[in-house]
Amino acid sequence: MTASSLTERYVHEVVRWIPADQRDDIADELRATIADTVEARGATEREVLTEMGAPARLAARYADRPPALIGPDLFPVYKRLLVGLLSTVLPLVAAALMLLDIADGKSVGAAIGGAVTMVLTVGAQMIAWVTMLFALVERSLHRRGATARTRAWTPDDLPAPVQRERRGAATLTSAVWHALLLVLIIWQHVAKPYRLGDARAQVLDPALWSGWIWPILLGLAGIVALNLIQLTTRDWTVPLAAVHAAAHAIFALPVAYVLSRHMLFDPNVLTDFNGPDWKTPDAFYNVTALAVLAVSAGQAIKRFREARG
Amino acid sequence: MTLDELILGQAQELRRGTVVLACLALLDEPQYGYALLETLNNAGIAVDGNTLYPLLRRLDKQGLLTSEWNTDESRPRKFYRVSPDGSRVRAGLIREWQGLVASIAELTKESR
Repeated sequence: MTASSLTERYVHEVVRWIPADQRDDIADELRATIADTVEARGATEREVLTEMGAPARLAARYADRPPALIGPDLFPVYKRLLVGLLSTVLPLVAAALMLLDIADGKSVGAAIGGAVTMVLTVGAQMIAWVTMLFALVERSLHRRGATARTRAWTPDDLPAPVQRERRGAATLTSAVWHALLLVLIIWQHVAKPYRLGDARAQVLDPALWSGWIWPILLGLAGIVALNLIQLTTRDWTVPLAAVHAAAHAIFALPVAYVLSRHMLFDPNVLTDFNGPDWKTPDAFYNVTALAVLAVSAGQAIKRFREARG
Repeated sequence: MTLDELILGQAQELRRGTVVLACLALLDEPQYGYALLETLNNAGIAVDGNTLYPLLRRLDKQGLLTSEWNTDESRPRKFYRVSPDGSRVRAGLIREWQGLVASIAELTKESR
């Protein structure tokens, strides 16, 4: 490898990152500069090139292009849009798809599987397209030298203060509602309110008491407790929100499972209640299961927001 | 990070903008990249080639400098000199610089 080819290789590495119309000019200038430096300092080509550093970095300076896809002007909008899409549009699309699948007669499991796949692919697509769009906008703004904000910021843009009282009311409602549910489940177990001929029966399937009812009750108790904690404490933290989310999961997942497997109600009570000619449709169970999951997920997400806001 | 490193880093920030003014001040006479680098470094304006050469092209693109290839000598070199716009910008920057020096001098009168 001769010494002069070292310069050539370096120059080639630099200019390949640079827009085509400036390549030759920059290459000529670089060659002259490297030769000048070598000559003036009595240094070797290798030393001079080592000092000049990685070709890609030098090229970035020549190209006068920021070495970032999305700069500080666009990043806040980019982040807000992406978070918005992924946290609202994506779940809505997934829920809609699940409902369609179930309406088509697929099982809840298959529908959830389809939704998970869809969330992954559509989510990746959203990220990819939004990122690409913003990178292109960034580049064109930079080319026009217009990286200043498109609209000046004013104090009106500050987010509205969180309304404590409204938040408190919502938390109280949630606590009361879940406590009521808890009491209702235990009451119907103890009091056996349904008249089946001469006997009395529970509304919920008694078999649940040797299994699924326990996580449901535990979850409900946890939700009530955490709502009360949120009402009384001033600092609702992310870890507390995480425990709250876990309580909702412990409650909602078994409920959804039990509903989807038609194990919630006592079959005898159900037959008596429906009469001989009518059978509760599958859609009722599936939609109710989905609704429970959606409400719980919504509550969990809301408390995370409150923890951070 | 040691105190010396901190001073070095902050000093670099201070110097960053002065390179443009120094170039505009020196390039009344046409010069090529390496010669300008030497002149600057000898004058106590510390700047490396990786910063200076791209900067010259940027100023050229903004119309503050004009450039011309000189092929009279054995090695063709690109010579830069200040454009009329460049002189006006230089005048503005000099005013700004003197204002800054006065302000900082006033502010640091006590602490020296």
